Amino acid sequence: MRVAFILNGDDVIAKVRSGDRLVDLLRESYGLLGGCADCRKGSCGKCLILLDGRTVPSCLVPAFMATGREVITIEGFAQTDEYDDIVKGFDEAGLETCGFCDAGRILAAATLLERKPRPSPEEILEELDSVKCRCADPVLIVRGILAAAEHRARRLYHRAGK
Amino acid sequence: MLKSHPKALLYAGGTDILREKGSRFAAFPAEIIVVSRLNELRQVVLTERFIELGAAITMAEILELRENAVPELLALALRGLATPAVRNLATIGGNLACSSRFLDSWPALACLDALVEIRDAGSSRWINVSRLADENGLPALPYGCVLTRLRIPLEPWDAIALRKVGNANYPSRDGAVFALAARSEKGILTEFRLAFAGQKALRLREIEGKIVGRKLPLGKKERESFASEYREAASPLDAKLRFRFGALVDGALDLLSR
Amino acid sequence: MALRRDRAEIESSGTSLSDLEFEGMVHVATLRSPVSRGSVKEISTRKLPKEYRLILPNDIPGANRILSFGAEIPLLASASISYRGEPIGLVAGPDPVLAAEIAAEATIVCDEEDPRFSWESFSSDQVRAKRVAVMGDPDLAFSIAATVIEDTFSSGCLEHFYSEAQGALALFDYDKMAIYCATQWPYHVRESAALVLGCKSEEVVVRPTPLGVHLDGKLWYPSFLACHAVLAARACKKPAKILLTREEDFRYTPKRARSSVALRAATDPAGRLSAVDLRIALNVGAIGPLAEEILTQTCIAASGTYDCANIRVEGYAVETNTLPLGAFAGLGASHSFFALETASSRLAETLGEDPMDWKAKNILKKGSRLITGEILHEEPPYAEISERLCHASDWRRKYACYELVRKRRSGRADGPLRGIGFAFAYQGAGAPLSGETPSGYSVEVVLDMELSCTIKTSAAASCGSTRRKGAGRVESRDGLADIWRGTAADILGIEIGSVCIAPPDTDSTPDSGPAVLSRGISVINRLIERACNAIQKRRFRDPLPLSSKSIYRQPKPIRWEDGSVAGSPFGSAAWGGTIVELELDPWTFEPKPLGIWICAEGGTIASVARAESALRRAAVDALGSCLRESLDFEDGEIGVHSYFEYGILGSQGLPPLFIDLLVGKRKASPKGIGELPYDTVPAAFLSALSQATGSAFSSLPLSSERLFKAMEET
Repeated sequence: MRVAFILNGDDVIAKVRSGDRLVDLLRESYGLLGGCADCRKGSCGKCLILLDGRTVPSCLVPAFMATGREVITIEGFAQTDEYDDIVKGFDEAGLETCGFCDAGRILAAATLLERKPRPSPEEILEELDSVKCRCADPVLIVRGILAAAEHRARRLYHRAGK
Repeated sequence: MLKSHPKALLYAGGTDILREKGSRFAAFPAEIIVVSRLNELRQVVLTERFIELGAAITMAEILELRENAVPELLALALRGLATPAVRNLATIGGNLACSSRFLDSWPALACLDALVEIRDAGSSRWINVSRLADENGLPALPYGCVLTRLRIPLEPWDAIALRKVGNANYPSRDGAVFALAARSEKGILTEFRLAFAGQKALRLREIEGKIVGRKLPLGKKERESFASEYREAASPLDAKLRFRFGALVDGALDLLSR
Repeated sequence: MALRRDRAEIESSGTSLSDLEFEGMVHVATLRSPVSRGSVKEISTRKLPKEYRLILPNDIPGANRILSFGAEIPLLASASISYRGEPIGLVAGPDPVLAAEIAAEATIVCDEEDPRFSWESFSSDQVRAKRVAVMGDPDLAFSIAATVIEDTFSSGCLEHFYSEAQGALALFDYDKMAIYCATQWPYHVRESAALVLGCKSEEVVVRPTPLGVHLDGKLWYPSFLACHAVLAARACKKPAKILLTREEDFRYTPKRARSSVALRAATDPAGRLSAVDLRIALNVGAIGPLAEEILTQTCIAASGTYDCANIRVEGYAVETNTLPLGAFAGLGASHSFFALETASSRLAETLGEDPMDWKAKNILKKGSRLITGEILHEEPPYAEISERLCHASDWRRKYACYELVRKRRSGRADGPLRGIGFAFAYQGAGAPLSGETPSGYSVEVVLDMELSCTIKTSAAASCGSTRRKGAGRVESRDGLADIWRGTAADILGIEIGSVCIAPPDTDSTPDSGPAVLSRGISVINRLIERACNAIQKRRFRDPLPLSSKSIYRQPKPIRWEDGSVAGSPFGSAAWGGTIVELELDPWTFEPKPLGIWICAEGGTIASVARAESALRRAAVDALGSCLRESLDFEDGEIGVHSYFEYGILGSQGLPPLFIDLLVGKRKASPKGIGELPYDTVPAAFLSALSQATGSAFSSLPLSSERLFKAMEET
């Protein structure tokens, strides 16, 4: 079947089988390797993408469910100012990760900050529970996202000032 | 659509479906009907007395409804479910309609005496959520039927409790969810509802009927008697869960004793 | 296939194994034994499509085995199957889904024998390794003891849940077989592949991919899979990749060994520890690679951190017909510490003493004799660590209060059940392992004419936390690599930015041994120091570029003979204590941690922030092993349910974590501290639970029936 959707801002049409998962379509047909096809049960969060603005585990989304929707992967998100805010925040906090779970963590942080520009530590830990990896230090995750929130707020303030 | 495609798979959130199919390629039936964006399955109607939710509304969307629109007991159940990312996909209808076991929302909805609209090719009717379990406590959504709406009464409660027990990873063999809702007036217990579900579901109205109308706090003998009745009635559950159920009931009755 | 360009790109971009693709690549699926013990009679598959190959033991040109830490591991089992799920054949082809289907549908006929799953009681032919050591006269001490406690402490299997499932990719690269895989020991991969191919080691090159978190689960298994990839590449004459699904990895790759420690401990009338007797059984699964090391470490840790004149330890590594079980965040000391620290808290309680005080009375001191005969040359920093922990956690008040409440409570109305527990342990580093390269490991340092320094070590394969920006470039930030670079920069007097770590492929870097037991800190860093010092000596005399190779001579392995053990178990030891406070949910009685406090002494600490972070992460993992992580074997195999039910802790619902590091007082080399939480959190947790419930617990994972039984008795 053919599936037409918006992928990182571009209109695309993909040929898929009904049982293909979105994570595999993105990785194999589009070379978008930022997300990992790991647990395939929606628990590790390494395959998170934004589907119509919400983080979802793409291993639990059949490719056909992308029809008519907007998909943003970490590659697309990496072109945004919000991405820079988050990476800066993580760097400031000294958050070091294994590298395999970053995409999910960044996207989860992004949707949280969009919804809650000044999240509390509890809200941060709740949202970031979508990504489970042994590399993560919860204290630095909180610090990183609070720092990212600060960068975001300053950027939006300056933009508003212009 | 159901009439002309009786064997089609209805697909909304699909988290349970794809999760169970662990392999890379998920073998789906030849016909799939995607219902996740059907307007009639995504309506929210809020009145003073109830809230009505379309079955294709996701858990996350329910939690984002304005404060007090969703009963706290249901919100507690949904907040404890999976992860925020999965809640962005999983639908309330899918959660209730699982055929292999009961998932997180059933106990809370059973306590709230929620109604569900069941439709098949020819008709539709409203039934109490408790009737999604048969007399053996097993899932009993009739074959060929679709769950389309929920109607949840909005009532004030003096005490609510929700606990997940067993393996927290879902769905697990020994996992279950316990829900309690109680209300009193002038020292008399006017409502007491207790539901428990995992592989099997329990809502014991007869015992609830005996507890309602009692004066609070419950005395020691009353508590022990009810606890014993509950334990006996829990025999359909497997031994591990019976244990846990017993402890939860003790906790619930203890609440009424203070 | 423009291989040279791909390779450079792969190395500079830090591409992980999951993301590696080569043109024409085939995917490898594994045929697995359906029986736990027996032999293969016949394997047949459907008619294979043109580009697909079935690879069986007869297709192996060299040896049908790899060697690992004293064990011979069959590559494709045939005459002797040791566990259900053991690889017996491979299918390789362009479509991974089809290859997996062909493998799953294969007809496998076996002669089945009775499997052996029992390990707490076992037959002599199951014994893979045995260790016995006696110090003093434990029998006499027990006979005159004032107090004796006795119990069996058991801990279950754990899943590493490393960052990436196991796998490998092999391809012909001109005259060599090139292997990409994530491994703690690239040279082991090389030697194994050479053995299987029947070629010289130099004809194989290993190019490590990012390793991520490994928890010691990638010491030898990557070599095993690399050989499978190599066989497929050879058979198909194409690049071949084997990448296990997470489910397959969970069910068929090595897990943490299970342990059962039967412990007796005695005190004299003054409450001083007078005797310890441990009988240790370790279930090392089939074949038992690393069995000797794990048993050695478990037995060496037998007396824990206590000064005791009479110790007996008898340990067995027992083979069973389940998948190989082995290392997990260290090589076994955690089994002993779990038993000892839980028991010591219980002893203290029996004597009516605060565990902190009891341990203070009995802790090792400078001049104490260890079970290996060694004399301890430095005072363990127990006093300082315990004092800081006491202060931070309000231990004294809480312990006394919870004791009082426990003794006087009459029912639920008395409030939630709470407890607080404490454990103290050490983490040894730099221990020699049996079966290692006799010529020793080395590190090379090069200082070029621009005063840029390159550190060459195969141990760099275990470095590198990488940010996958998803836009091409990847940065590499890693605490260990920064320590190495800092060491070189300090000695050579150059900017740290001028020091780089060479990509750790086996053609460009020397064999620095397996990245295990904190060798990165205790061994590699010292070798870098030595090499840099050698350059510094020649620098103003000889022209640049200069290079120096520093060779590590392993200390003599520990000798076990005639009931005694001798030798120096570690190059260095870091010390640490943990306090866990918890509360039981009054409805479910499930333990809910309220706080974890950790204080550690790790010598000179290059980055306090990184060390604290490492301890926090390890504490979360260790807590997960107490609360949630457990897996079951059914008929010798890990069931599919276990895969769905197993989960590591996420970020939500964690207790506050307080980390305190002793820094600055000692001019010591850096020491590894990352395993300390695994050595201490479980015992502290169980001790807290015991106080909360008034019931003695002695095994993890917790069984809910056991917990409820304790609650009913309470």
